[in-house]
Amino acid sequence: MKKKMLLHDALVMAGALCGAYAMVLLTQVVMGRIDGVAMLIFMLAVFITSMYTEGYFWGAAASVISVLAVNFAFLSPYFAFNFTLSENLFSGLVMLVVSIMTSTLTTRIKRQEQLRMESEKEKMRANLLRAVSHDLRTPLTSIYGACSTVIENYDSLDKTKTIKLLGEACSDAQWLNRMVENLLSVTRIDSEKVTVQKTPTVLDELVDAVVVKFKKRYPAVPVQLDLPDAFIVIPMDSMLIQQVLMNLLENAALHAKGMTKLVLKVFTVDDRAVFEVTDDGCGIPKERLKNLFSGTGGTDPDAPADSRKHGMGIGLSVCAAIIKAHGGEIRAESRPGEGTTIRFWLKTEEIELEDAEDEQ
Amino acid sequence: MSNNKFKVLIVEDEANICSFIETLLTTNDYQALVAHTCTMGLTLFASHNPDLVILDLGLPDRDGLELIRTVRQKYMTPIIVLSARTDEMDKIEALDLGANDYITKPFGTGELLARVRAALRLNRYGAPLGGAAPNGEFCAQGLRINYDRRKVFVEGEEVKLTQTEYNIVAFLSQHAGRVMTYAAIVKAIWGDTDIGSTKKLQVNMANIRKKLGSRPGSNSYILNELGVGYRMLDEDSGPRSEGLE
Repeated sequence: MKKKMLLHDALVMAGALCGAYAMVLLTQVVMGRIDGVAMLIFMLAVFITSMYTEGYFWGAAASVISVLAVNFAFLSPYFAFNFTLSENLFSGLVMLVVSIMTSTLTTRIKRQEQLRMESEKEKMRANLLRAVSHDLRTPLTSIYGACSTVIENYDSLDKTKTIKLLGEACSDAQWLNRMVENLLSVTRIDSEKVTVQKTPTVLDELVDAVVVKFKKRYPAVPVQLDLPDAFIVIPMDSMLIQQVLMNLLENAALHAKGMTKLVLKVFTVDDRAVFEVTDDGCGIPKERLKNLFSGTGGTDPDAPADSRKHGMGIGLSVCAAIIKAHGGEIRAESRPGEGTTIRFWLKTEEIELEDAEDEQ
Repeated sequence: MSNNKFKVLIVEDEANICSFIETLLTTNDYQALVAHTCTMGLTLFASHNPDLVILDLGLPDRDGLELIRTVRQKYMTPIIVLSARTDEMDKIEALDLGANDYITKPFGTGELLARVRAALRLNRYGAPLGGAAPNGEFCAQGLRINYDRRKVFVEGEEVKLTQTEYNIVAFLSQHAGRVMTYAAIVKAIWGDTDIGSTKKLQVNMANIRKKLGSRPGSNSYILNELGVGYRMLDEDSGPRSEGLE
């Protein structure tokens, strides 16, 4: 990382200086004279160098080199150093000061930018935490309430009531678990670099795992599959992509009212695998569609105060974060009353099928 | 002890989880032994010779993997590992060390009981590992494998498999009900493991699945444990749907 930065900075400096040199030569050819222009053009090179490199070093180095180069090549006496002329010495000093001031300025701007980004991130994190704590408290209240009710009134409650209370606690615990799974996914990709551990995953196996899991949770909701026949391998963190597909299917099952058909379709376009989850439920209103993936749906004053709705917002923002970390894109399309399609793509991997049909 | 209940050793440091697993097992007619540390687990294992071990990997005194290693030096007692979602690598390592199965926390009681039953059934009827070439037949739902004639049938119809594909199916069926990691299968089929071998296995598996008539999400005889390995349906057991979340 550090080495790369160093190389980058050195290249910037070399590029700027070479460019300046070429320009001075060009003006010399075109106009014949260069005296004042040479200094100005090298000044520009110094400015560019200090602007696009890290710290003071490269700018200062560029100015020293420029002073030497101009002195040597473009100021009389030509092709010899001469620092006895006070104007040469003076212009060298000016260049040094310009470079240092530019570096100071750009460094300060960069630092401010970084601070601003950090505080923004901090704010987002705080928002997420607030939404999550609220979301977690609701099912916890119900679990705590149900359990303590059963314990304290064990003899007076009849069996059906007890079972009902415990059943609610059970389903709330499951909901809590899904929430935590989402949060775990976020922590897995949150580490600054926004990279994920990718392993080649077979599309059919991924879909199989998701559908089996989904069937277990929602036995009453059938999922239609539309998959390509080809053997497709996608590099991914399969745990996270499973989570994405699960979230999308679950959202449809929980929120798309009036849904009769839920389709998971995958097809390939060039080296991209496109995943589509489509339902024919109630759709999502346009205002909400805009920041569907930002996780801010919960702070919308018009959003229903139902906790499960908040959970959906977080689920989708988690999806977006996961897909982004994989270098893909996610989009939603929806028409109120007709249904919703959520689509994302991931890069597939080239595979050779050499060993597939051996030793028949 | 005079009863003939199965003895299950639970090694887990969280008292609440222990308590609910113990209650679940005893009400389902198992005898439960509880250890809170690895050392205690090994002591109880030596003195009671349980039929099954349920093991949490994150123990306070020593790594749970060590317990698997120690037990596997002498015993084939089935081991079910309880794993948190985050330690994927531990899970694979545990399976490669000889654990029979894993179950991810949090899990439903139905799922746990199903795994316990499957593990115990394997212990009673399962072929010993590393034994002679299998003979006879294997049946699980519509799938039938005739080891003598090296033939595979689905719903009575013969399925034409290549040598490699047959070897994979036969290997999985010998360990039916157990998760076999990619590395373990590759080692058994090709003998060595190199970088492309998992992909080789996945390609073969895709063909096998197609030939057996399995579509994603339905009709699978070979279950996917994504990122870990494969598991053949248990002989004559119900489908995995009995494990509820």
